[in-house]
Amino acid sequence: MYLGRSLTYLSACPLLTDATRPVALAPAVVDVHSMRFAWRGTTQALLEIEALRVAPGERMFLRGPSGSGKSTLLSLLAGVLTASAGEILLLGHNLAALSGAQRDRIRADHVGFIFQMFNLIPYLSVMENVMLPCGFSQRRRLRAHQRGGTVEAEARRLLGALDMADAGLLARPVTQLSVGQQQRVAAARALIGAPELVIADEPTSSLDADRRNAFVELLFRECREAGSALVFVSHDPGLAPLFDRTVELTTLNLAAEAQPPTR
Amino acid sequence: MNTVLTLAFKSLRNRRGTALLTVISIACAVLLLLGVERLRHESRESFTNTISGTDLIVGARSSPVHLLLYSVFHVGNATNNIAWDSYRAIAQRPEVAWTIPLSLGDSHRGFRVLGTSAEFFEHFRFGERRRLELQAGKTLDGPFDTVLGAEVAAQLGYRLGDRIVVAHGSGEVSFSLHEDHPFTVTGILARTGTPVDRTVHVTLAGMDAMHEDTATGPAADPLGTAMMERGGERQAAREHSHAHADEPADDEEHAQEEHAAITAFLVGLKSRPAVLSMQRYVNEYPHEALTAILPGATLPELWEIVGAAEKALFGVSVLVVVVGLTGMLIALLTSLSERRREMAVLRSVGARPAQVFALILGEATVLTLAGIALGVALLYGGLLLGQPWLEARMGLFIPIGWPSGRELTLAALVALAGIIIGLVPGYRLYRHSLADGMTIRI
Repeated sequence: MYLGRSLTYLSACPLLTDATRPVALAPAVVDVHSMRFAWRGTTQALLEIEALRVAPGERMFLRGPSGSGKSTLLSLLAGVLTASAGEILLLGHNLAALSGAQRDRIRADHVGFIFQMFNLIPYLSVMENVMLPCGFSQRRRLRAHQRGGTVEAEARRLLGALDMADAGLLARPVTQLSVGQQQRVAAARALIGAPELVIADEPTSSLDADRRNAFVELLFRECREAGSALVFVSHDPGLAPLFDRTVELTTLNLAAEAQPPTR
Repeated sequence: MNTVLTLAFKSLRNRRGTALLTVISIACAVLLLLGVERLRHESRESFTNTISGTDLIVGARSSPVHLLLYSVFHVGNATNNIAWDSYRAIAQRPEVAWTIPLSLGDSHRGFRVLGTSAEFFEHFRFGERRRLELQAGKTLDGPFDTVLGAEVAAQLGYRLGDRIVVAHGSGEVSFSLHEDHPFTVTGILARTGTPVDRTVHVTLAGMDAMHEDTATGPAADPLGTAMMERGGERQAAREHSHAHADEPADDEEHAQEEHAAITAFLVGLKSRPAVLSMQRYVNEYPHEALTAILPGATLPELWEIVGAAEKALFGVSVLVVVVGLTGMLIALLTSLSERRREMAVLRSVGARPAQVFALILGEATVLTLAGIALGVALLYGGLLLGQPWLEARMGLFIPIGWPSGRELTLAALVALAGIIIGLVPGYRLYRHSLADGMTIRI
């Protein structure tokens, strides 16, 4: 518990840029060791990963066909699901050793998400959607404050950086935005308060090729700006060259061969 | 927590159509529940306030509740009269401080006519031992004077000096009018919130004169027979009283008067402890079959009779509340499947399962509280609008006051029930959000 606390304080330090980051001392954003996951009530493992490490600020492309367990892996990294065996360290916190509420806190403080679709809360405005994580995490609220002056200003700045600052767009109900616009709002929400890790789950699958690349470029730029590591999951190999590193889930997952691709 | 409440509000605003319907159905249920309770309480209160300071009510032998109802509340009719002599004999008992004779059976344009004496204005008390007060004029003096209750004067637009004609029987329309003996309005009473407001008060002498003529005069209309019988009854009573006329006369003021039979009379005693022996005396009165009741002891008997109906009504309104809250449960449960995605998004931005739970619970709470608030508002609006009608039609005056403790308890119980009902969808969504993780496979 005390260890967890002190690590939280450590990670709350002003963000270190790539150039000055003491690689050996900073804990990996994600560190997976001998992790095994099976759905409750089943014996067959869906995921079995010997080692997976994401360094701070790293941009990792996680590729896998649909049903290969990508979404499950992301839920595990986020601490929404817990591993059956082995350990997953998120910024040094062993997720399995924490309570549900503590995992929720760590996720709220350190992880931003972008989903394939249905990212936005339909009854909130664009701005409210972007500011939502700051309502659940004091840390991200403080950091948004530090970066933008106010949470609102930071949300506006992020939307501006993602070409969404148009007053007309901001006033529109989120349900009337195009898919590409919705994804950019989702990206702004994932990035507000500069979480150490941004997880994007097939965020571009409903975009055409041009807009897909533009979106990824924007995401890269803002992740670099915020100092966030990016785990980008997709079945689309065309994006792989843009990233620092590509990991094939089928290669990574030792349980892959034994597992019929249902999920 | 603030974030969750804001979310609950905005989510409800987004579904305002369904939310509004839910609120309205809860409001109607609350309106019914509180309305029934308010009417029950106020009608009891109104009955209890109708008479005070009277120790005994004496009438012809009948059930106590019946006597109470027709003598004081002007509900129903007496089956028999009391001979004047019996009244005089009891009124002259040493324990008796005062008596008020009541002679009923006539009406004026739907309002009851009460034949009484000056003692009525002197000794009658209502509410917290309040006296009757005049808003204009003076009390009964001459035999053809009449003093009107506030509601009578207001509804019929009478003023002092107006002449009115009394009809036989208590219907709105009567075929036999005592036209030869118009009464002059000499006084109008201040509002009391009791049946007195709806009563035309005349003197016993005036009443006698009017009935004497009807009884002896020619029957001009085909319905005269019934009236004759009634007149004859009174005549018989008069003869009865004449038969005893040779008894030694008393110095007491009202004993010197000589009247036809009366319907009932109110008794005030010099000392309260004498009330039971006095009641026994009246009940065992040898010359006539009489009943004496203690108003305070008879009211509970009345409540026992109406209690079953009240309970049934209350039961129905509780069921309506259950239906209203079930409507909310259905509305919340139907929205759940489409909201699982929303909950996954909230989980991804850091909402704990408990907060997801609180969000749904918060919505149920907001809906229930809004329903209760609207229901209470409707109740007061209804009371404001319905008050004159209830008073005019039912003779029931409902003061508009703060909610009673019992009403607040009922409202709190509805709120509690609403919140408990919110636990059901809250718990289901909580379980979903634990199991679903952040990806929804629907």
